[in-house]
Amino acid sequence: MNATKKWALHRISAIIIAPLFAWLYFSLISLSTKNYLEAVNFFQNPLFKILTIIIFFVGFFHAKISLNEIYEDYIHNKKIKDVANLLALILSIVLPIIVLTLLLYKI
Amino acid sequence: MKDNQNPLSPHLQIYRWHISSLLSITHRISGVINLFSFILIFFWLLILSLGENNYELFLLFINSFVGKFILIGFIWSMSFHIFSGIRHLVWDMGYGFEIKTANISGIIVIISSLISTIIFWLFGRGLI
Repeated sequence: MNATKKWALHRISAIIIAPLFAWLYFSLISLSTKNYLEAVNFFQNPLFKILTIIIFFVGFFHAKISLNEIYEDYIHNKKIKDVANLLALILSIVLPIIVLTLLLYKI
Repeated sequence: MKDNQNPLSPHLQIYRWHISSLLSITHRISGVINLFSFILIFFWLLILSLGENNYELFLLFINSFVGKFILIGFIWSMSFHIFSGIRHLVWDMGYGFEIKTANISGIIVIISSLISTIIFWLFGRGLI
C-alpha cells in the first residue's frame, strides 16, 4: 500500500468509526447496568450486529495503520519492526473474524 | 543506526510542554489506550457468548470501583481521540494552523472530551 493511499484510508476509516464508536460506547455503558438477557437481545438485533462487525473490521484496520506509524517512529531495528507489524496485521484480522463468528453463530 | 540518515523522533523528555505538543502525543497515547479498550469490548462479546454465569461475573467486575474507573477512563480516551481526530481532519483540509487558533482548538478538544465523557456516563447509566 503506498503512503498516500494509506494516509487517505486512515482518514476515511476514522470518519466511519468515530460515530459508530460513540454509539457502541453509549450502548455498552447502558448495557453495563442491565442483565444478561438484555445484552443478548441487544446484540441479536440485526442492525446492531452489522454495525458492531463493521466497527471491528474498520476499527482494527485503522488501528493497524496507526500501529505501523508508531512502530516506524519508535522501533529502529528493522527485524523487530517487521515482526511487530506482522503481529499487528494478524491481530487486526483475527479479532474481527472471531467477533464476526460470535455474532453470527453464538449470540 | 550508522547508515540510517532519517531524523529521530522528538525526545519528549527534553521539550518544554505546549498545548500543541501535549495534544499531539496525547492523541497517540489515547489511540493506544483505545486499542486496549477495543480489546476489552472484544472480551465483553466473548464473555457474553459464554453464557449467563460468566456474563454475571463480568458485570460484577465492570460495576466494581475498578471496573467503573477503567470504563470511564476508556470513554474519556475515546472521546478525546475523536475530538482530537476532528482537529487533525480540519488541519488536513488546510485550516486552523495559526498558533492562536491551534491553541484555542486544543483547549476546545480537552474541554469537549471531558464534557462528553460526563454526559455519556450520566445518560448511559440512566442517572439523568
